[in-house]
Amino acid sequence: MIENFFKLILSEFQLMLKESVFSFVLYCLLIISCAIFALSLKHQSMGINAPLSFLYIMIFFISLFKVEKIYSQDFDEAKLRQYLLSPFSLEIIVFIKNMMIYFNLIIFFFIFSPLILIILNIDLAYLLEINILLALSLLSIIFIASMTASITISKNNRLSLTSILTLPLFVPILIFSMAITDLIDFNTGRMYLFFVAYFLLNLAFSPLLTSFALKKLSI
Amino acid sequence: MIEVNNLSYARGNTLIYKNISFKIRPGELLLVQGANGVGKTTLLSNLVNFIDPLEGSLTYNNLVIDNHIASQHFLYVGETNFAHDTLTLSQNIQYWLSIHNVKFNNSIKEKSIKYFFQELNLDKKFYQLSYGQKKKLQLLLLMLVHKPVWILDDPLSGLDERTIINLNSLFEKKLENKGIIILASHQNISLNNYKTLQLS
Repeated sequence: MIENFFKLILSEFQLMLKESVFSFVLYCLLIISCAIFALSLKHQSMGINAPLSFLYIMIFFISLFKVEKIYSQDFDEAKLRQYLLSPFSLEIIVFIKNMMIYFNLIIFFFIFSPLILIILNIDLAYLLEINILLALSLLSIIFIASMTASITISKNNRLSLTSILTLPLFVPILIFSMAITDLIDFNTGRMYLFFVAYFLLNLAFSPLLTSFALKKLSI
Repeated sequence: MIEVNNLSYARGNTLIYKNISFKIRPGELLLVQGANGVGKTTLLSNLVNFIDPLEGSLTYNNLVIDNHIASQHFLYVGETNFAHDTLTLSQNIQYWLSIHNVKFNNSIKEKSIKYFFQELNLDKKFYQLSYGQKKKLQLLLLMLVHKPVWILDDPLSGLDERTIINLNSLFEKKLENKGIIILASHQNISLNNYKTLQLS
């Protein structure tokens, strides 16, 4: 079982690599929109908060798009039926998929982040802090987005608008991220702990709720 | 033994079927037949516990069929394809065998692949395959995943004559080994002894 678990992770990784083109396209769109944002406000003194908020909102949308696309492909009815008959529980499969989406997005962010910071006119001295901040918060964003996606892609749910119920869960991440940037030089070890705690909370509930929604709404 | 008692299922306000009962013992095959839309696929989904019935009971060896029992004992091959288009045939086989937690040696894997695919290039991307070839990947699980009960939804559609013959001999071997097969199909199968359930 353990051996096959690692084989499964490896296969999911291969699958995620094949899906990297979509992430690349999304990040290209992010750079374009950052450029438009920076150009439109070039005569304003923006500080760090406004560009970072914009970056956060864009990353939030990128995550939603990415998770939604992966979920609609990988959890269609035929695949879902096989997953349900797998000795691995659906929660574990959901967890592995979410982690692979996370790695895929965060690696692209690490690659593109210097360019994004230059475009948004943010001091490159903050590069490491912004990467850490985003790496920590993106974990929760992906796990919450998976709940949203599992409801949105469901075929038995006539009111797919119910997926907006999960949107308030994103709010604490955005608020705390902005609160951290308000503090001088991001030196706020305890504030970062919020993201770890919030991720652990999501880790406990998100795979359960996501797989429940997939089971009940998509077959 | 699979025992189904007074099974009914409704989708919304529409009753799909009512009071279906049957028993299948080890070494028996049940062919579910009926026109389009009478609930063949729904019945199979009920059996594998993908959906809950409205009424009635389903047991396997006197145990109520739940997720755990279904994942331990049942192998389901449905109408639609479950493979990942972006992976190659070989990667897909690897992926789905790890999903089903199958430990296999390469010689068994190669023999099974040859049995269905003959001379196919395993490095081909899945989307490059024909409908019949895609179907064969699903059927390959029958040879590589060892579970006592096979639930098959229209397994013969889109297959060439040679593969249908291979599949029938696979059914015979499964029944000789006291396995249980439940399949829904519009076509008759070329086995001597099997039960039929006609849905109307």
